[in-house]
Amino acid sequence: MGKLSKLPKLYLAFVFIILYTPIFYLLYYSFNSGGTMSGFESFTFEHYAAVFEDTRLIMILINTIVVALLSALVSTAIGVLGAVTITFIRKKALRNAILSMNNILIVSPDVIIGASFLILFTLVGVKLGFASVLISHIAFSIPIVVIMVLPKLQEMSPSLIDAAIDLGASRRDVLTRVIIPFIKPGIFAGFFLALTYSLDDFAVTFFVTGNGFSTLSVEIYSMARAGVTLTINALSGLIFIVTLLLVFGYYAINRKSKNPFSGVRK
Amino acid sequence: MSVESIIRFDNVTKKYDEDTIVLNNVSFELERGKFYTLLGPSGCGKTTILRLIAGFIEPTEGTILFNGKKINDVPANERKVNTVFQDYALFPHLNVFENIAFGLRIKKIKTDEMKKRVKEALAFVNLEGYENREISEMSGGQRQRVAIARAIVNDPEVILLDEPLSALDLKLRSEMQYELRDLQKRLGKTFIFVTHDQEEALAMSDEIFVLNNGEIQQSGTPLDIYDEPLNRFVADFIGESNIVPGIMIEDFVVEFTGKKFECVDAGLNPNENVDIVIRPEDLVLTTVEKGKLTVTVDTQLFRGVHYELSTYDKDGNEWLVHSTKKAEVGSSVGLDFVPENIHVMRLNETEEEFDARLESYGGSDNER
Repeated sequence: MGKLSKLPKLYLAFVFIILYTPIFYLLYYSFNSGGTMSGFESFTFEHYAAVFEDTRLIMILINTIVVALLSALVSTAIGVLGAVTITFIRKKALRNAILSMNNILIVSPDVIIGASFLILFTLVGVKLGFASVLISHIAFSIPIVVIMVLPKLQEMSPSLIDAAIDLGASRRDVLTRVIIPFIKPGIFAGFFLALTYSLDDFAVTFFVTGNGFSTLSVEIYSMARAGVTLTINALSGLIFIVTLLLVFGYYAINRKSKNPFSGVRK
Repeated sequence: MSVESIIRFDNVTKKYDEDTIVLNNVSFELERGKFYTLLGPSGCGKTTILRLIAGFIEPTEGTILFNGKKINDVPANERKVNTVFQDYALFPHLNVFENIAFGLRIKKIKTDEMKKRVKEALAFVNLEGYENREISEMSGGQRQRVAIARAIVNDPEVILLDEPLSALDLKLRSEMQYELRDLQKRLGKTFIFVTHDQEEALAMSDEIFVLNNGEIQQSGTPLDIYDEPLNRFVADFIGESNIVPGIMIEDFVVEFTGKKFECVDAGLNPNENVDIVIRPEDLVLTTVEKGKLTVTVDTQLFRGVHYELSTYDKDGNEWLVHSTKKAEVGSSVGLDFVPENIHVMRLNETEEEFDARLESYGGSDNER
């Protein structure tokens, strides 16, 4: 990569300032003892304390995390198998058709997905609550996992599979001993992306949460409608920090799992 | 036929769809413990034969026998055959030891025995002490050896090698040719080697199958195939050849470039049209007076061991000459050769007909 000259640098800085200013503005006032977002009075942690004292909010936080972890796990399992199956479909037209259907789900608006899930759950008679949220999160995460895993599968030489079979491996051995280890980085990437998508999803969740069950994004939305308190700022700040940690975690794991492939030649 | 036969193809045809025939009614028999080479240009069906033996694909028609038993439906993971792949197909997430132990782990071999066998296999390919290396740390030649070790550690009856040397540089490639041949002799196993490189095939094989367009053109020892090519394709593909049209006047007399020559071939119809092959190294540069043919030197290339001369006779036929002596470009020279060096090829003759004809007149060609 060549060195950037001054103008592009300035432009980059400008873009990042615009993107991050609102977040830091929010974080800044989460420490304001004044209670409003105008005029910083003095530094305080009382809004953060309020978050942790609010047991209802803590319950919602736990709900959110449980839904995110479970949906990421299940969607990763289904998505990986799906991606493997797609790769081994021989007919090109069928493979492309399935792939397009997968991609349409990624680009289609959350509102439509949410609304259609609401209709489906009402038709089938699933009670809105934990289950409905979990199912819908799994559903919209699967295509994301598939998209993250597919490139790794395509990178894999088909002769690796031939070699494994040649050495006596059954189909199951091929999957567990060759394919899955090879695509592990893709699986991790898919899992973390599914996790973050679930954590911050609002539109789909908004449609399928019933009474008595809520996730953070939906809760923050309703809190903001009821009137601005700095508890929201504190909560948003916490989520921002957790997201940062997740991103770092993702890169750390990704780098670690890549290492054996890019070892130094002696 | 013989009891020693390990693999037999009976009229095997492979089609990918109705129109693309990759292998057309191929029959052959391989003996145990020999080094075979399938030689041909890309797309000739040689890799298809290998994949049929390995079990990655099934024949459309015909029977494949292994130790006398039909194996058409036996899946690849149950065949006593192991393959060394063109791109080596080593598992990048496993180190050298685990790559070689892969087949043994699947067969649930006990740890002690597994370690012993991996060690032996590594010793066989001269890679002792490399157990804990990652594949990414190995050079091309070393990866090649790991791939071979991974195949032989399973103690297969047949080892298939799919152009394994094509990714190596020239020097390493000729080293590996010696090593592979030596390895095959030490192991005493049947090797089936696929290549498009005729020098490789001639140097290593007990027997060569020359393939083109999904059919076996000719099979035999390297010497047989080099000295007695059956048709234009084989003559052209194996080594360099001067091929000119001729007429077989009678037994042991052939006419080409308007002159009659004594030759050692017989059993053809009088005045039959034939192709004549003379190898460039069999043509001797001499004076116009002493030469049997008179040609004009067109170009001359220094090839190290010899000069390669491109010459033309008065009819415009090109004669390639390998000579240790220099000639002058543009000058007229004579070319001399002995009757044994004239090889007569009957047009469209099959291998069976050729063999039968050789036997019918006493097989003087075999005496060389």
